[in-house]
Amino acid sequence: MDRLVEQIPRFFTATNMMMLAEAAYMTLAMTIVGCLIGFGLAFVLVYLRQTPGLWALPLRIVCVTYVEFFRRIPFLVIVYLVLFFIQALTPDASLFTIAVIAICLYSVAYTADIIRGGLESVPHTQVEAARTMNMSRFRTLIMVVLPQAWPVIIPPAIAFAVSFIKDTALVSQIGVFELTFRGKELNNQGYSGVLVFGTIALCYFILSFPLTLLGQHLEKRLATPRGQRSARKIRRT
Amino acid sequence: MDYRFQYGVVWQNLDALFQGAWLTFQLGTLSFAGGALIGLICAAIVAYGPFLIRFPVHVYVVLITNTPALIQIYFLYYGLPEFGIRLSSEACLLIGLILNAGAYLTLIMRAGFLSVRRTELEAGVVLGMSVLQQIRFIVVPHIAKSIYPALANFFIVILVMGTSIGSIIGVDELTGQAINLSSVNYRWLEYFTVVALMYVVLTFVASIGLAALGRWACRVRARIF
Repeated sequence: MDRLVEQIPRFFTATNMMMLAEAAYMTLAMTIVGCLIGFGLAFVLVYLRQTPGLWALPLRIVCVTYVEFFRRIPFLVIVYLVLFFIQALTPDASLFTIAVIAICLYSVAYTADIIRGGLESVPHTQVEAARTMNMSRFRTLIMVVLPQAWPVIIPPAIAFAVSFIKDTALVSQIGVFELTFRGKELNNQGYSGVLVFGTIALCYFILSFPLTLLGQHLEKRLATPRGQRSARKIRRT
Repeated sequence: MDYRFQYGVVWQNLDALFQGAWLTFQLGTLSFAGGALIGLICAAIVAYGPFLIRFPVHVYVVLITNTPALIQIYFLYYGLPEFGIRLSSEACLLIGLILNAGAYLTLIMRAGFLSVRRTELEAGVVLGMSVLQQIRFIVVPHIAKSIYPALANFFIVILVMGTSIGSIIGVDELTGQAINLSSVNYRWLEYFTVVALMYVVLTFVASIGLAALGRWACRVRARIF
């Protein structure tokens, strides 16, 4: 306990704080880049998965298997697999790239389910109406389904990305200079574990808490307005 | 790419991997059970408790859900010895995961508590039930049904994401075994592909078991895929 108090002035120096700020930036950059690319790819995956027709059956099977596999493998194992696979392919890929690829692979599987749920929440009659008006599948998606599916897709997608800020802590295992890695480094320099990991936890909290609140706010705002919701209920009954 | 896959060494050490998988399953189940207990108590407090107790529970949930599980476990593993408490790495992992799961399950169960209709609770009051009896006979059967899918989903998350963190602090569960074995002969890709497959099989078995349990106990049609 005395050691902890005695270390505090030595720990909170400008250099250490700059290092932590850079590490926090790294964590955030990794998450944002990985989740954005993952979100785009997940759309493609869902679009392919919904391809109708018997000839597309293998395609659908591949998409379903991908989602099921990557949701059931721990992120840490994915990180290791990507690391060793990429290093076997191109030995000089940067660790940041490897981390982003791993995050992509994982977030595609999770967001694909979110997007599919959103698209399926749109009443099927609307799709049939668009089909009757001879709209192509892509046009139906862009002009009919998506505008109504956004409020269902966006809040859980943001919640997923925010929760992923915390899961990127596991990437420290392959040596990306992010918050957890720096924390481990400082701890190895002899600073007290309570002090170091308390500070690192605080950094994560500062990154994640405002974004969580933002996500909850968006969820409330994007929820269907009251009048519309009751109208829909009446139509169903 | 001139990498040759050599799975021979993996088949020789398969029983070590199976031991790891068994430990993973045990750790996952234990931490889920502990977390569910904490979650149930905390959710009951959040839903019915007075402000003075509700507030610390709220702080606990916000703090835990906004920091990584890895940091929490590091805190237990590297921080506690400074106060003279030395825990084995298994104990650290288990305590960390239970605390972590408790916070997330509080959120899930709170949603269940809030979805119980007021009239049902009022009927319970009319029958002279105490708060504990209300929870036991009205709320729990109700939320078991309504939040079952979310609980089953979270069990998979803790079974897979949660326990794999153990490998970092030296618990020999499935990922840990893979790291131990593959650092002997550097067949990383082979070991990790096999381990990934084992995780998929393990969680599938768990999903099917949970779906059967859900059908039998709460009459929910849980989805496996």
